[in-house]
Amino acid sequence: MKLRKRAVGAIALGVVVAALALAGCSSSSPAKSGSKTLDVAYWNYGPEALTNQNSYAKGFEAENPGVTVKGIAIAGTNWGEYYANLATLIASGKKPDNAVMSSEGVKFLDQNHLILPINDYLKSDPEGKSLLADIAPGLMKSLTVGKDITTLPDTWNDMVIYYNTDLFKQAGIAPPAADWTTDQFEAIAKQLTDKSKGQYGFAWTGTEVFPGVLPWIANQNANLVSGDVCKATANSAGVEKAFTFLDGLIQQGISPVPPSSSEVISDFQNGKIAMFGAGAWPIATFAPAGFTSYDIQLYPTGSTYKTVVGSGGYPILKSSANPDLAWKFQKYVTSAKVQDALIGTPTNPYGAIPTLRSTAKKSADAGIPPANYKLFYGSIDDHPSLTPFPGPAKYTEFESTVLRYTQLIFGGNETVEQGLDDMQQALSTIVSCK
Amino acid sequence: MDTRAAVGFLAPAGVGFVLFLLLPTIAVLVLSFFDWNLLSDGTFIGFQNFVALFSDTRLASIYGSTALMAGGILVINIAVGLLLAVLLETRMPTWIRTFFRFSFLFPFVVSSSAVALIWRFLLDTDLGLVNYWLGLLGIPHTPWLTSTAFAPFAVILVNSWKTLGFSMLIYIAGLQGIPNEVREAAIVDGANAWSRFWRITLPLLSPTVFFLIVINLINGFQLFAEPQVLTQGGPGDSSRTVVQYLYDTAFQSFNLGYASTIGLTLIVVLIVLTLVQFRLSRRWTFYE
Repeated sequence: MKLRKRAVGAIALGVVVAALALAGCSSSSPAKSGSKTLDVAYWNYGPEALTNQNSYAKGFEAENPGVTVKGIAIAGTNWGEYYANLATLIASGKKPDNAVMSSEGVKFLDQNHLILPINDYLKSDPEGKSLLADIAPGLMKSLTVGKDITTLPDTWNDMVIYYNTDLFKQAGIAPPAADWTTDQFEAIAKQLTDKSKGQYGFAWTGTEVFPGVLPWIANQNANLVSGDVCKATANSAGVEKAFTFLDGLIQQGISPVPPSSSEVISDFQNGKIAMFGAGAWPIATFAPAGFTSYDIQLYPTGSTYKTVVGSGGYPILKSSANPDLAWKFQKYVTSAKVQDALIGTPTNPYGAIPTLRSTAKKSADAGIPPANYKLFYGSIDDHPSLTPFPGPAKYTEFESTVLRYTQLIFGGNETVEQGLDDMQQALSTIVSCK
Repeated sequence: MDTRAAVGFLAPAGVGFVLFLLLPTIAVLVLSFFDWNLLSDGTFIGFQNFVALFSDTRLASIYGSTALMAGGILVINIAVGLLLAVLLETRMPTWIRTFFRFSFLFPFVVSSSAVALIWRFLLDTDLGLVNYWLGLLGIPHTPWLTSTAFAPFAVILVNSWKTLGFSMLIYIAGLQGIPNEVREAAIVDGANAWSRFWRITLPLLSPTVFFLIVINLINGFQLFAEPQVLTQGGPGDSSRTVVQYLYDTAFQSFNLGYASTIGLTLIVVLIVLTLVQFRLSRRWTFYE
């Protein structure tokens, strides 16, 4: 009898704990009202994130007396981890008004009914309309689900090739043209490979999809998911062609087995890698370190050329008690005033591309490195054929699955064909709109 | 009064046990009957998560890789830890003994992630120092972290390097607990060093060996930081551990219910393994 009571007690206690945990995840608790505090969740990827957040908060508070912006720092080594931790935060009962979001997380946040679309605000707010006119349409497309516009972007990146100008000069190679082909790229990378010096012609990261395999896939007119992001297409002919090309670079010794993103950047800076692909973020590392021997160019053309785009912003969360104030904050971080202030200086530039075309032009005019800086915004304005970053609702699982199989393929553990078939099978249950 | 004092002294540990061990374990048990993605309301689904375990082919292979790595770490800790402890208990100047003890123990007190991060740079196939040095000896580059064959051994190597000092320290304590009279009696009886080790030292050290087997096996099955930082569990699942898979299921797939069920399997496996060891230890453990 005693045992029975204990067992029942333990089960009841467990149920209470679970009920408490599950109650915490409910999004139906009443929102705070009348508050003039704006809670903003942001990805705390490093000291720069805190600095940016503080500067946004102070600027917005100065423009809106009586309003306090409270930053909620969320840790994570990549976007996937950030979204996982954001979900945990919301499940614990916190109700941020705005939360930093990138293209990768659009579907995840939308499918969980967390975002308040801004369509109505854009229709009725002239300031919003004017901002929209200064933003490349492709950026807005990457932040739109169905007809719902999730946010105005405050930052974005496209993928370009970084090349070491010193190594090019030493090898007597002319800077690449914007219309270079994958064959020309391979020939140049081969010429820049010197095993005796431990120098590779090209490297790509094995820990991220965006600056890793995706631009090569896009330029074979393919993607890892269908256009509506409802179906995996990892073993399509275009993806296989891109992977075969990259695998060939490793087989020939032109590229190392893909290292981590930070290793790629530091090895490029040290001259061990002659070329690599990334967005604008490396310039914020190179310039303060005094490293200037580099320039950028578009990814080489495969069967086509498509700019790979990822952007981010501060969407209004449905849990916000002050959606109008949250909209004001979103407009503020996209405004010319804030975007212009982000440009920085040639020795301490901003590590992303401004979302306003006018600000991007100012950045180029201000001498922000590299020499071909205008290519960053030009790649989306001049090449309207885009590949938005594939961001299925289960983005974190999607990214880790893609990386798991790319590791197997490029590590020589599976053939390209077998690895992509396995990746497709694994992704088929992850990428779905059902 | 005595009872109150006892309760007072036990309370901090008791509260910690209930808050951080008992309640979460019960919550895990309850959650394993739910479908919950952190953001939605949970749905009770009965035994569906338990049924899913049997069709999860990844889980079986991940248990295989976890057992391989836990076994490797166990063997190295038990064998090499003992060797180091015996060597450090031989006659030598005190400063040399202190220096080596400190050197072997130091990695144990450093953060696992920091250790793994440094090793990741050292073991990089093309740009790492280990392959560079091996290359000087004419040995071709080894894909330590990118080959399914080598990645689990890289994890074993790094974790063993970190934990070996702990095993060595416990062995030293065990060796120092062996009464000198027993050894002296063996010497008087004419036993050489080899015989003394196998017939006196090792049998009297068997409770220590047993303790280290239990601890190292549990730690091995709970590996997380080293494979997460070194290989992210790859290539494929070759160096993925059950705890990593549990974490991925919970915080990448947002399937908290199934992750809880995986956690329960780990609890059961560890309890069974520990009970088996207790049972088997009766045959080879000697207490004075």
